[in-house]
Amino acid sequence: MFADLGADVIKVEPPGGDDGRRIAPFVDDRPHPDRSLFFWFYNLNKRSLTLDLESERGRELLCELARGADVVIENFGPGRADAMGLGWARLHELNPALVLCSISPFGADGPYRDYLADDAVLTAMGGMLYVNGYPGRPPVRPLGLQAYHASAHYGAIATLCALFARDQDGAGQWIDLSMQAATAGALEHVVGSFFQNGQPERRRGTLHWARFFRAGKCRDGYVLHCTIGDWTSLLEWVRGDDAAQDLITPEWHEHDHRAKHAEHLFDVLDQWVVDKPRDEIVARAQLLRQPYAAVRFPGELFKDEQLIARGYFVEVEHPELGRSFHYPGAPALMHGTPWRAYRRPPLVGEHNEAILCDELGLAREELATLIAEGIV
Amino acid sequence: MAAMALKGIRVVDFTWVVAGPVATRMLADNGAEVIKVERKIPGYMGPRKVGLQPDLNRNKLSVAINMAEPRGVELARELVRISDLVIDNFSARVMRGWGMDYESLRKIKPDIICISMSGLGHTGPRRDYVSYGPTLQSLTGFTRLMTDPNGEPAGYGYSFSDLAGGLAGGFVALSALWHRRRTGQGQFIDLSQMEALTGYLGPGLLDISVNGREQSPVDWRAQEKPAAPYGVYRCQPSDGDDDRWIVISVGSQAEWNRFKNAIGAPPWVDDTKFHTLYLRMRNREELDRQVASWTANHQAEAAMTILQRAGVPAGLVENGVDLCTRDPQLQFRNFWAAVKRPDGSDTYVSGIPYRLSATPGAIRSNAPEVGENNEYVLGELLGLSPAEREELYAHQVVWH
Repeated sequence: MFADLGADVIKVEPPGGDDGRRIAPFVDDRPHPDRSLFFWFYNLNKRSLTLDLESERGRELLCELARGADVVIENFGPGRADAMGLGWARLHELNPALVLCSISPFGADGPYRDYLADDAVLTAMGGMLYVNGYPGRPPVRPLGLQAYHASAHYGAIATLCALFARDQDGAGQWIDLSMQAATAGALEHVVGSFFQNGQPERRRGTLHWARFFRAGKCRDGYVLHCTIGDWTSLLEWVRGDDAAQDLITPEWHEHDHRAKHAEHLFDVLDQWVVDKPRDEIVARAQLLRQPYAAVRFPGELFKDEQLIARGYFVEVEHPELGRSFHYPGAPALMHGTPWRAYRRPPLVGEHNEAILCDELGLAREELATLIAEGIV
Repeated sequence: MAAMALKGIRVVDFTWVVAGPVATRMLADNGAEVIKVERKIPGYMGPRKVGLQPDLNRNKLSVAINMAEPRGVELARELVRISDLVIDNFSARVMRGWGMDYESLRKIKPDIICISMSGLGHTGPRRDYVSYGPTLQSLTGFTRLMTDPNGEPAGYGYSFSDLAGGLAGGFVALSALWHRRRTGQGQFIDLSQMEALTGYLGPGLLDISVNGREQSPVDWRAQEKPAAPYGVYRCQPSDGDDDRWIVISVGSQAEWNRFKNAIGAPPWVDDTKFHTLYLRMRNREELDRQVASWTANHQAEAAMTILQRAGVPAGLVENGVDLCTRDPQLQFRNFWAAVKRPDGSDTYVSGIPYRLSATPGAIRSNAPEVGENNEYVLGELLGLSPAEREELYAHQVVWH
């Protein structure tokens, strides 16, 4: 997020490269540290420096970098940076204006401090997983690494807040972010509903908790029904198709009645759409200002006329592969400070020489020695 | 020690429902003065002092300005003149209709930052599309791909999209404020919540665009790493509740070895078909049955403790009660913050997930009733006399 808006983000990787480089999918399904699409997506616009932080010299170089940096972000796990001599006390001493953002599964203290977690475990312990899926069947994992993404956003926001605070008195500070708490802070209804009713929210399939949305199977896929728009025009349409059944009685005009009897209402609407093509239903619904939607596959996004018109997908050139690829682009069109793809994701250690020699002033011979010793 | 990080920043907040309020919540939690400009809609989105609203709107102020009145628009514009950021999540027409769009507002406050968080953006053929969180989740692929084993859409009983949009909104707001502090320049930000959400599918989308796959095989098992056992397993009922589950995530061989010992090394773990990660993934169904037979004999919390003590990533699938009343970690870190209800009793909101060592944010007040801060905004900020304020109330330019 910082690199996309122009910050010089140096990704410090162990020799051989970050573990993220081993995560599928790969270009042409050929696994290689420079071909991981997972790594590409999360490391666009950054520079790469390989450094063995297990070695004394590696840690010294990291400290040199931190001396000239505004921000250090790490997710080694609680206490690990301290144990390596790279914790808050040390970095703050080196550079009192530095902001250190530590992101860990459960935070730097507490009974679960040393528990291990990935996105799946965090969605479970952050309250997200339980409410997804059908009642009586197993919870279904949220798509899109939501615990990680929520944590990343909170981390970026906290870091920017620390930079604003630094403007007041010149002092940096330490951020201790719990990914579990970030996940619990990215639930729409679960927390508020519990504190209001004392009851846990349950799984409801695709029925949204406010009870005005549910997915229904149509002839060639699924549509998302919505009963929050103008009821009269929706009802007229359904009646015109002789499919309204008992929905013609006056009580269905009431918002609260529709919510209360949502299951029956959506069952009737499901029968109504069962033989209709998806895109036809949605096009007509949107003409009537009914917030229906096509339940699409992600592949359809590349043909989406709205995303295309707004230039959402951006082309990124990979010269060493002799190819260009379309990446998902800006989360927002910022007219004064545009999001840009200005540097393809770095190859392993691609910027070692530029960073260590040109910027930190290391002699080229010393770099050669460090490479020979496996420190870089 | 510095004051709160965003002290001195004032936000005119036209946002409603969920996504917009999530964005301004981040700013308010860190000390910005966020003033909601709202209509009086009785009971909309639940009560203000308990439930969802405190979670979304704590730390904010509210002024009930009638924007259908020219004098109301004038008041809002006066407020913009002494503010840093204006944010809305209407479709494109609304702010323009009031003369509250960026081009109009920069004439009265040249360095103003305006953020519009519409569903599909302010440009393009579908800029007027009617959308809510579930709509965007459907359009982007989340709803279709979050399936049960039978392949039917099974998810999204809530609007994660609103959180994705809100978190992106908070980030771009701070980025724009930072840019203004360095350059003195404001800007307009056109945030499409659909685009903010689409980025969550990044690696899967690259798989489609780079490898030309019709459909990325993103599913519940393959999002971040190869692993087996990996998934949700049913646990022993607890206090009559049989909806108890644990997530177990065993990736590396070292984790597998620790897992085997943690569950007491039953004979099946040494079966050759489970020897390597590759084999465990190939024989996943049988492996899952065996693991489920172990979890079925343990309560979820106990199974988690056994596995975590052995160094295996595992977690209780926490329901609202677990999360809000039992989880010892969230309590230890004081995640749940108390806010006052009108009768003086406490209710709770989800707190701030990060700690800033020098300028921690704080939950200072409950969500305001609509118009709760009319007097402060009209009197102290806009300098209107009591007589002028009375007249505004009398003519329903500001709702009491």
